[in-house]
Amino acid sequence: MTTLEEQGIYARWLERGTRAGLVGLAIAFGVYAFELIDPLVPHAKLPDLWHLPAHHFAAATGAPTGWEWTRHLDKGDYVMLLGVATLGLVSAVCYARVIPVFARRGERVHVALAVLQILVLLAAASGLLAGGH
Amino acid sequence: MLGEIAGSGATAWWVWPIALFVVSFALGIVAVLAGVGGGVLFVPIVGGFFPFHLDFVRGAGLLLALSGALSAAPALMRGGFASLRLAMPFALVGSVTSVAGALLGLALPAEVVQLALGLTILAIVVLMWKSTTPAEGKVGQPDRFAVALGMQGSYHDPAEGRDIDWQVRRVPAGLVAFAGIGVIAGMFGLGAGWANVPVLNLLLGVPLKLSVGTSGLLLSVVDTSAAWIYVHRGAVLPMLVVPSIVGVMLGAKIGARLLRIAPTAIVRRVVITLLLIASVRAILKGLGIWT
Repeated sequence: MTTLEEQGIYARWLERGTRAGLVGLAIAFGVYAFELIDPLVPHAKLPDLWHLPAHHFAAATGAPTGWEWTRHLDKGDYVMLLGVATLGLVSAVCYARVIPVFARRGERVHVALAVLQILVLLAAASGLLAGGH
Repeated sequence: MLGEIAGSGATAWWVWPIALFVVSFALGIVAVLAGVGGGVLFVPIVGGFFPFHLDFVRGAGLLLALSGALSAAPALMRGGFASLRLAMPFALVGSVTSVAGALLGLALPAEVVQLALGLTILAIVVLMWKSTTPAEGKVGQPDRFAVALGMQGSYHDPAEGRDIDWQVRRVPAGLVAFAGIGVIAGMFGLGAGWANVPVLNLLLGVPLKLSVGTSGLLLSVVDTSAAWIYVHRGAVLPMLVVPSIVGVMLGAKIGARLLRIAPTAIVRRVVITLLLIASVRAILKGLGIWT
């Protein structure tokens, strides 16, 4: 079996990032579910709200959109997004790690593909593409 | 049904995450046994029979598909059953269109998305029902795009005890197909293994095992872009996301153990029936007949 150098590097970073994200997600959910930190939206109120479209939910609760959630890390429901963000950034990190391998071999097409992929992922992560409702 | 119970308003909040975990666990088991991703079962079934808005269900569906794909990809890559070179161009196209799909899905009225989801699931049911034995990939002449992108290689298949050479044909058609798959993945939060594998295997001529493995790697990139849109639009509800992810992942582990003894043909029929019911439910919801 031929495992190329870039595959090994990508797999290693993907494994580390995914593990960190999932562990973070599980711990944060424990904090949230057992109300170790007060949530922005109390658990008991959720059944009255979760049938609403996302933008109505945000309007009714003051829930953050975009990167505003980072200002609410003192709230149990938004600590969890740290784990989600880790999962959402890990692929971009993996692509960044394999660019030097492609560049060293002079594989310009793959360098370009990796750079473009990182730009797309970062554009999505930035919130610029999400716009408003 | 569960949705009707929710409508009574008498159910304690904590019943729902527990019910979601139990249903996700069961879906994780049958998804593995039926050879489909968890997302394709999760979104129509939870969207149809739980009280959560479809925005949150799609957000959770994308994140559980993403978590499963991210977890599986490293081992598949190390084993040579997923190819980064093969995935890169298709992932790039799919991730761009999945953003468009997510934006479209969040902009359209819920009834329209429900109806489109129902019709999409119905099409998947037909595909599953009619699907024949997948091809083992044909080593034909690669096109010039495949050559330029280095889309060729070999992997060792322990089951066959030999190295299998692979190369790719019809890259432009593949790019168009993955553009469409990206839109569907982003719009409905379905994950897209059900579409990735046939396109890689039947259209591009990639051997089946490499198609399955590379599909997971593709999902991990394509779903990431769409997931960010749901995060930024506030469509990720913690109370739904974690029980769903944990349930499906634990269920998938049990499903993998049951794979040797379970009657997969029967399970497959059960899944097709479940999807059929969920698709009819989504269509009726979309048409305002059974809300």
